[in-house]
Amino acid sequence: MSLETNLGDIKLKNPLILASGILGASYSSLQRMYDAGMGAVVTKSIGKNPRSGSPNPTIFALVEIKSIVSSVGLANPGYKTFKEDLVKLTEKQTPAIVSIFGETKEDIGEIIEGLNDLPLLAFELNLGYSKENPKTVQEKVGIIKQITNKPLWVKLTPDECNVIKIAEAAVNCGCNALVAINKVKAMVIDIKTKQPVLGAKKGGISGSVLKPIGVRCVYDLYEHFGDKIPIIGVGGISKGEDVIEYLLAGASAVQIGSAVGVAYPENMVRFIQMGIRKYLREQNIENLDEIIGGAFK
Amino acid sequence: MKKGIMNNTRPLICKIVDKWEECDDTFGFVLELPIKIQKAKPGQFIMLWIPGVDEYPVGIAGIKNGFIEIGVAKMGVGTSAMIDKQKGDFVGIRGFFGKPFKPPKNVNHLLIGGGFGMTPLKLLTSSLINFEEMQRVHIFEGARSKNKLMYLEWLENLENQEEIFFHVSTDDGSYGYKGFPTVDLEKFLQNNKTPSVIYAAGPERMMKVIFDLGKKYSNVIDMQMSLADRYIRCGFGLCAGCVVDPTGWRICTDGPIFNTEQLEQITDFGNFRRTETGAKEKI
Ligand SMILES: Cc1cc2nc3c(=O)[nH]c(=O)nc-3n(C[C@H](O)[C@H](O)[C@H](O)COP(=O)(O)OP(=O)(O)OC[C@H]3O[C@@H](n4cnc5c(N)ncnc54)[C@H](O)[C@@H]3O)c2cc1C
Ligand SMILES: Cc1cc2nc3c(=O)[nH]c(=O)nc-3n(C[C@H](O)[C@H](O)[C@H](O)COP(=O)(O)O)c2cc1C
Repeated sequence: MSLETNLGDIKLKNPLILASGILGASYSSLQRMYDAGMGAVVTKSIGKNPRSGSPNPTIFALVEIKSIVSSVGLANPGYKTFKEDLVKLTEKQTPAIVSIFGETKEDIGEIIEGLNDLPLLAFELNLGYSKENPKTVQEKVGIIKQITNKPLWVKLTPDECNVIKIAEAAVNCGCNALVAINKVKAMVIDIKTKQPVLGAKKGGISGSVLKPIGVRCVYDLYEHFGDKIPIIGVGGISKGEDVIEYLLAGASAVQIGSAVGVAYPENMVRFIQMGIRKYLREQNIENLDEIIGGAFK
Repeated sequence: MKKGIMNNTRPLICKIVDKWEECDDTFGFVLELPIKIQKAKPGQFIMLWIPGVDEYPVGIAGIKNGFIEIGVAKMGVGTSAMIDKQKGDFVGIRGFFGKPFKPPKNVNHLLIGGGFGMTPLKLLTSSLINFEEMQRVHIFEGARSKNKLMYLEWLENLENQEEIFFHVSTDDGSYGYKGFPTVDLEKFLQNNKTPSVIYAAGPERMMKVIFDLGKKYSNVIDMQMSLADRYIRCGFGLCAGCVVDPTGWRICTDGPIFNTEQLEQITDFGNFRRTETGAKEKI
């Protein structure tokens, strides 16, 4: 039985990828998650300039629905400073994807140029935070593809009213994989103090509540694109069965965020892998290709 | 919510039922928990939410029958907002987070700290007093001057009890020994050969000095230090904003208490921390 999977030309030893923004602040935490058994790791989203992000509280759990409400406000040290971490990470041949964001295509171009000499597995363009339409996406993807030969993944947010149109723009401009989904808009108000809990007041939700939304989005994308472009499923994965569900919907790999933000992330990764193996054994499946998009058969 | 357990969830709203000036610019508070929580372990911390203002980590100084004691030292906007709160006001807490101190049996316990580092050491002291196999407890507290010493009265009263010794020092000599608390600690280690464990909480530079000192004495069988000079965002290990290199350990979940073996591996210890942006800066 093999857990290997392909995303275009990229081969991963298993389909689990650390999602952006979780344990992704330093080369050492990313390395730790790769050593824990992830197939690859995505950094937190990096911009052109340093940003302190939103005031605290920025992240808290809602235990009753196994979910996380957050608004970190894209806190990051800027690509120039973060490069030091990336050098240390890639020195060890760790398969690393750098998530980037930018208001304008010029900003994005500058970041890609600055990091292009590193042996990265891919870039991931985070579209979650500025108002995007097919035209802006085309511009951003276009400039990245002009500058780099490295694979480009585009991460979609379900809050956009037409995810398929945005995805189409990205695919037409040469993006190499689609990542779906980012957080869904959310907020929590404390009724005793009558205050929004997040420092930024408004934020997004991730974790278990996201899973059916993410599965639907991946299913829609696979229905539309078929084998034309690899899809990476994200949202609410916390056990092997969740991974299988995303693969059946059409994902070739998955990303895991909230579920590994726990005291013992190594155990979590092992637990998820065990669940995948158990399912494959029970179903007599030799490799993942047999089930990708299986819900359409 | 299960009885007696503090879940990791949204801030739990607590009423401030007591407030007092502990020393200059530092206030003690007792918060009433809306649920009966049994206990927190010494060295663990909470995220304190001042609604509409800020949220930040503070240590736990005491916990009993649904009441929790904390100590807040004025730094900036967030801590000032707490100090402006009065009895009857509400704040939120999340927790309890982090790995606690782990005192072994049959050793001398040497507690050393300063500033808000004294809050976890207060809870540790209380728990050591009830520890069956308790040996001697020595507490070394240091501050710039007398009016910056936390828990002075409480510690002096404890000293009347057997087996508890309080060593106090100030930089300006306004109270106790004139100098750093490390001087007293070193003197103690020179004259006392029984196996000892050092527990430290305070500015990281001071802890590095203590760590280097402790390594010179073979009777120091372990050192457990609270690394609190780090920006904490989520508190439960998700964002890793507080991570230390090169181990990838998070202060909030793998720490804040680290032992000798771990501290040896953390090259950032006493040297670097990450700021809110994630950039590294010299400590
Ligand atoms: C594990 C731990 C336990 C702590 N225990 C106590 C305690 O018991 N009593 C106490 O008074 N203080 C404690 N602190 C420190 C306390 O969290 C900071 O003093 C407080 O956050 C300052 O906030 P401010 O808005 O008043 O100051 P600011 O002006 O915002 O900042 C002043 C300083 O505090 C640091 N700081 C700001 N926000 C945070 C944050 N979210 N996490 C960590 N550091 C921050 C900044 O880096 C800066 O150096 C503890 C810190 C940690 C990490
Ligand atoms: C605290 C936090 C920070 C995040 N930061 C980013 C980010 O910087 N860039 C990004 O593309 N996604 C970010 N995400 C979204 C995740 O990568 C992921 O898409 C989402 O959390 C859903 O997956 P999950 O349910 O497994 O967490 C963040 C999520 C959380 C909870």
